[in-house]
This record gives sequence, C-alpha cells and structure tokens, in this order.
Amino acid sequence: MNENFKISSSEIKKIKPLNQKEKKIRLENLKLFNQQGFPSRNQEDWKFSDINQIFSKNFKNLESFKNKIKPKSINFIKEFDHNHILMVNGKLENSEFKFEDKSKIKIKSYNDSNFSINNEENSLINLNNALSNNGLFLEVANNYRLEKAIIIYNVFTDDLKDNLLNNKNKIILGKNSELHIVEYNINQSKNKFIYNTIENIILNENASLKTINLQANQNEGFFYKFSKGKMKSNSYYSSFIFSSGPKFNKIDAEFDLEGENCDCNIKSALFIDKGKHQEIKTKINHLVPNCKSYQKIKSVVDAEGKGVYQGKIYVKDIAQKTNAYQLSKALLLSENSEFNSKPELEIYADDVKCSHGSTSGSVDENSIHYLMTRGLSKKQAVQLLVNGFLNEIIGDIKSNSVKKFIENKIEIQIHGY
Amino acid sequence: MKNQNINTNQDYKYGFTTDIESVKAPKGLSEKSIKFISKMKKEPDWMLKWRLKAFERLKNLKEPDWQKPKYPKIDYQDLYYYSAPKSASEKPKSLDEVDPKLLETYKKLGIPLQEQKKLSGVAVDAVFDSVSVATTYKEELTKKGIIFCSISEAIQKHPDLVKKYLGSVIPITDHYFATLNSAVFTDGSFVYIPPNVKCPMELSTYFRINASDTGQFERTLIIADKGSYVSYLEGCTAPMRDENQLHAANVELVALDDAEIKYSTVQNWYPGDKDGKGGIYNFVTKRGACRGKNSKISWTQVETGSAITWKYPSCILQGDNSVGEFYSIAITNNHQKADTGTKMIHLGKNTRSKIISKGISAGQADNTYRGLVDISRKASNSRNYTQCDSLLMGNKCGAHTVPYIKNKNFSSTVEHEATTSKINEEQLYYCNQRGLNQEEAVSLIVNGFCKEVLQQLPMEFAVEAQKLVGISLEGSVG
Repeated sequence: MNENFKISSSEIKKIKPLNQKEKKIRLENLKLFNQQGFPSRNQEDWKFSDINQIFSKNFKNLESFKNKIKPKSINFIKEFDHNHILMVNGKLENSEFKFEDKSKIKIKSYNDSNFSINNEENSLINLNNALSNNGLFLEVANNYRLEKAIIIYNVFTDDLKDNLLNNKNKIILGKNSELHIVEYNINQSKNKFIYNTIENIILNENASLKTINLQANQNEGFFYKFSKGKMKSNSYYSSFIFSSGPKFNKIDAEFDLEGENCDCNIKSALFIDKGKHQEIKTKINHLVPNCKSYQKIKSVVDAEGKGVYQGKIYVKDIAQKTNAYQLSKALLLSENSEFNSKPELEIYADDVKCSHGSTSGSVDENSIHYLMTRGLSKKQAVQLLVNGFLNEIIGDIKSNSVKKFIENKIEIQIHGY
Repeated sequence: MKNQNINTNQDYKYGFTTDIESVKAPKGLSEKSIKFISKMKKEPDWMLKWRLKAFERLKNLKEPDWQKPKYPKIDYQDLYYYSAPKSASEKPKSLDEVDPKLLETYKKLGIPLQEQKKLSGVAVDAVFDSVSVATTYKEELTKKGIIFCSISEAIQKHPDLVKKYLGSVIPITDHYFATLNSAVFTDGSFVYIPPNVKCPMELSTYFRINASDTGQFERTLIIADKGSYVSYLEGCTAPMRDENQLHAANVELVALDDAEIKYSTVQNWYPGDKDGKGGIYNFVTKRGACRGKNSKISWTQVETGSAITWKYPSCILQGDNSVGEFYSIAITNNHQKADTGTKMIHLGKNTRSKIISKGISAGQADNTYRGLVDISRKASNSRNYTQCDSLLMGNKCGAHTVPYIKNKNFSSTVEHEATTSKINEEQLYYCNQRGLNQEEAVSLIVNGFCKEVLQQLPMEFAVEAQKLVGISLEGSVG
C-alpha cells in the first residue's frame, strides 16, 4: 500500500498574511487532508480513478506555487468577438468587457475565507480549503444579458513543476440574466503539476448560463475541478466539456435543482489518447417537481487511454414530473484502451420519466468496410467515423463561429491518432 | 439401489426422535461451536480444518456496509449455529393454529391441504411426508449416475468431488457472509451430473428429504461435467415459516466444457409485517463458474419475500464461448428492501452475457439493482446486453439503479439500458373498463412487465410465480 501523501503545514505560511482565525481553519483542514491522503479507489467516488496511486506514481514532493514569471505570448482566439478574462496559474490577471455595460458585471479576485472545517468525504476539498489562495469571483446583475461570450483564458506558465495549485471560483447570475463562458485552458508548462479547483455556481430565477470547457493543447497537467451548482426556478444551465489534453482530468459536477422548471444539461465529447485519463462525474439532484436534466457523454479512447463516466440522477419524493436522461457512449480504438462507466439512478418519486443508457465497444466494422470500399484507408475511415461520433455533441452548440472553432480543435486531436 | 438404502438410513437419522432434540449447540460463534457442528455431522478431519481456516479468516473481516438497505447490527454471538429439528410438541398442532392470513395466501396460490400443513410447519405424520415421491425420483437419477444428495452426505460419500470443487468458486477468503457460511454451514444440496448426461427432470430441494430443516447457513454445490445439462429449482412460491432471521447461504455452480446449468429461485420468505417489524434477512452469495468451453450458466430469480434481500448471483465466464444469463424479478412492498443484481465477469474469448432485471417497488419499499459487467483485457469479441426496468407504485417507495460497467477490450461491446416509470394510468383505466378490478388490473399489467423473466422459469414454477407476482402487490394500489 502507498503511504499517504503528506503536505507540510509550512505551505500554509506561504499564503499571504492570514489572521489567526483563518489560519486555524486552514490548519484544521490540512490536518484532515493529511489524515486521509488523496482519495483512493477504496472510496466509491474514486473507484475508477485512484488518484492516490496516480499522484504518488507521478510526484515525489509537492509544493505550493508563487508566480515568478510572466506567461509567454498567448494566442488569443480571433475567430469570434468576445470579452475576456485572463487567469494565470489560477490568479486573476486582467479582464476586458468592451462589448458590455460594465456596471452590470462585478469581477474580482475571490478571497472568501469562510471555509468549513468538516471532514469531507472528498479530501481534495479539505486540501483546497487549506491551501487555496486565488480564484475568480464573477457576478452578473439582474436583468442583464451579456452581448458576447466571455472567454476565460486559463494560462499555466512554463515554470510550473511538481506544484500544487488550489483555487476557488464563484459565479453568480442574477434574475433574468444570461451569460456564455468559454473556459480555455492554455498550458505552457511541459512538466507535471496539480490544479485543484472548486467552483460555486448560483443561478437565480430565469437565469441562463452556458459554459464550454476546452483545452488548447496536449499537456502533462493533472486537473481536478469540482463544480457545485444551485439552480432556482426557470433557470437554465448547459455545459459542454471538451477537456481532452491533460494527462489527467476529472470534472466533478453536482447540481441542485431547487426551483421548478429548471433545465440542466451536461454534454461532452472527449478524445482520450495515449496514457491519458479522463473522468466525468455528475450528480443531478432533482429536489422539486417539473425539472428537466439531460446528459450525453461521448468518449473515444485510444491506446492506453482510460475514460470514466460516473453519473447519478437523484429524484426526491416530491419531485414529480421529473424528466431525466443520461447517456454514455464510448468507442474503444485500441487493445489497451479502457472505458468504465457507472450510470446511476436513485429515484423516490413515481410519476417520473428517468432513463439511462451506456454502451462501449469498437468502431463498427461494417461502416469501416463501407468507407474502405469508397477508397479511404482504414485510418482515414476510422478518423471519419470518430469525427462523426464526436461531432454529434458539437452540433448542439448554437453559435456557428464557436462551433467551427471547436470542430477544428477536435479534428486536430483526432488527427493525432 | 445402494444409494436408495443410504437414503432410507438417513431418513432415520434426521427423523423427529427425542435424542436429537435434546442436543444443544453452544451459543455464539466460536471454535467450539464450529467443532460441535463438524462433530454432529460426523465430518472428516479435512472438513473441520477447512471450516476452522474460514473462521480464522473471519476474525479479520469486517461486515460490509456499502449496501443500500441498512439493518440493525447482528449480534453473531447471540445466534445458535446448530439447531436440531424442532420437536413436534412445539409446532402448531393443526391448521387452526396457523395465521389465517397465511392460509388465505395458500388458498390463492392453490396449494393442496397436505402441502399447506407442511409449509406452515404443522407437525405432519410420517405417512404424509413426501418421502415416497422422493425415492421414486432418486431411483431414476441413480440410474443415470447423477448424484443428488445433501452436502453432508456428499462430504462422507464423495469427498474427492467435494474437496475439488467446494470453495473453488466462492473461496473461504471471500467477503464476510460467505466466509461465515464456510465456517458454520450446516447443510444444503449437492449435485453432480456426469459427462454427457442430461438430467431427466428439474431437480428441486423440495424433493430432497430433510430439505425443510437445512437451517440458516445453507451450502449448495452443483457440478455439471462435460456436455451435461441440469435445471435446478430452489425455494417455493408459498410463504415459508421460518425461525431464523439471518440467512447467509452460499451457492456454487461449476459448468465444465459444453455443460449447462439453469438455476431458478423463487423466494418468498416472511417479509415482516405492514410496519416493517420482523422479517428475514436474505444475504446470499451465489456464484457460478463457466469453467469449460461453450458452457452456460443461467440464473433466474423471483424475489418477493424477505425483509431485506441482498444478493448478486454472478457468473465467471472463464471458458471461451461461454454464456452467462441473469433474469430477475424483485418485488418489494411495505417496508421491504432489496439490493440485488448480478456480476458478469468476462475472462474468456467470445463470451456473452445477458442481464434482464425487473424491479417493482410499492408501499415504503426500496428496490436497488446493482450490477457489474467486467470485460477483461483478454476477453476478445465479448458481448453484454443489460436491461433494467423499474416500476414504482406510490411516492413513498424508491427505485435505484447502480450499474458498474468496465470494458478493457476494444473488440467487445457492452450495452446497458434502464428505465424507471409508474403504471400507466391509461392501461389501468382500460382494464377497469373491461371489468377487472384494481388489483386484478395491476396484477395483469405487472405480469406483462415481468413477462421476459417469467418465461425463463420452468413450467411448474411459472404458473405459480405469476399468481405470486399479483399477490405480493396486494393493497399497494387504489
């Protein structure tokens, strides 16, 4: 068995001056983390992604990080007009809202220090509570609909090595507001590091939030993101996850549908290649009647890649007329690829429509044969089919320019195959 | 003929004679009580050693706690691990003393009077016992070379077979309840089908003498040798009177090359009363190994009884081209809880598995399907198809689906589908219109919902099981 990874309490001292109370909370959280270590496969939620093992294989020691250098030049997206926020190693650098009424948008560095000191089942939360020192706070005022999307450039500098970054984000949407976010991760480091984020999302009545999560390049980063969302009545949330690229990535989304007529959507298209490990875990809590949730997860796994989907739909006894759907489809391309899934339903109300499906298998031989008779090589045929498989998700994006941009990104990933 | 003689002897041994009644086992779980069981059963030394090894291992094991239905802690030191058959004086003297509700159910199932007496534990005169029926069957089986006896008898008469296969599918190093069973099991069935023999009839514990007193730690071992076939029935559609609260049985199946085993269970133990008091805990480990090429194991279960049902009949598909099947109906009403499903472990090439699970939940019950499909790296061209449907009646019950799907082989395909819904109002209305009352209508619709599984049951069971489905849901709608 692996020894638990211990983080020294001196790491807390590196965080900017702290008052006694906060210091105590952080120390307490660190103690809880050190007792548990990183989550391992003994824990149900980490059954298929044993990061205790993965991290101890990849890291000898871990240190917090202080910004030393500026990021190299960044290729900003030119394909479509947008507002932007620049984050460097999780710290808010600057932002620009040239298309918007600036009085309606509040943006600042996140520095809430009211953390809990509960012993979390997920020790990464304790770790984050102990060490997080950066993050983004974004709030949109009532009745304001942003003209253009915001792109959050999440840049990681190339001097990151064996570092542990913890940060917290919070996004609040006022009543009747609307926001599109593209979270664009650009990793300039060629080394291994861990990025542990906790994100809080609050959608008030009638608010609408659409997010796209995208990685710019292949890299050696280990990412974990826990998104906790609360949805009030008539709110809308949609999330597109195209996070292929990092060595390890787990997106853990938990949404509480607290008001009636909410609509929660999570869709993903992933191409997981050599030695990469991706997990999407979702938990949708239907707490009131008449809500809708929809999940569609598509993954393509190539050589020695590993894909995981764990999804749970919870329907409370009063949440009648719930409509919940969950689908996971995976293509395995190589002998050593692996896909695990656990689509889970926990239902206490009877007048509901809940269903899920999960498939995994190889690319259809007949389709390959068909394309080959039309003159494509086997490789081209597979690429075409994989492209079609993943494009179904991209097709759901409404904006044409964004859709084109992402199509290109995915195609580059597939061509690496 | 020789075999028959043995059976007559045994009948005597376990008969209701006074000297067995007076035997008392030491209370609690200890080396002493295990030695006592072994001695009572006149077991050879290797068997006792095996039990003690399991007990040694048990000391370091913890009771699992990941399951959905929680139950009050069981005090293992407060149980008797060997109880001699009840004396006639303790049993109800006639059917008049039996719970009238129970009798009503018997009537609905159409069970003959003599059988009713036997089931409700009324002291039955030896004349009425089904011994004679059993012996006729025995003769036919012996002719074909089939061994069908109690496991205790098999330990004495066929030690080589038992040594070779006992614990080969469920090792003593398995989980808590399986290991507990290995240490203290009292009796159960043993079946061996020789090569290329097709068992001419459905084997059932019902026909085996002494089946009613096998106790709470039952152990069943079925071996189908090359090219053979056997269909085994366990349980009974009628509610069984039972003294023990905890049931931790182990069932092991071994299918060699080209062999097929079909194992059907109908379980209708006491589910507790309307408020959830009492009732049996049914914590059973059932596992089959498709050892040989082209072998097949098929589990069919209809689970309607017990306060808590917690079992996962599984298939280990080791042989190339082997097939595993699992058909299940789990009905929970009132405060019953079920956490059941299957494991299909694909190890050989071209292995196939199919899972059809129907869960029905009414009253304040909780019904969980939990299953694992694991396709290992070497299991090329394997296939799995899973379908689990849940039906909810009322908004106080729960239906849950927890499938684990692992695919490590790119040439294999896994498919899983699940739905949750309630009984369609229109269908109910349609049935009512045609003169069916609410209960009949529900029974008809639910039977339709379960049809795919009911079809898999042997004829003898299927008719009764259909009635049982309706009866189990009485009072849940309307």
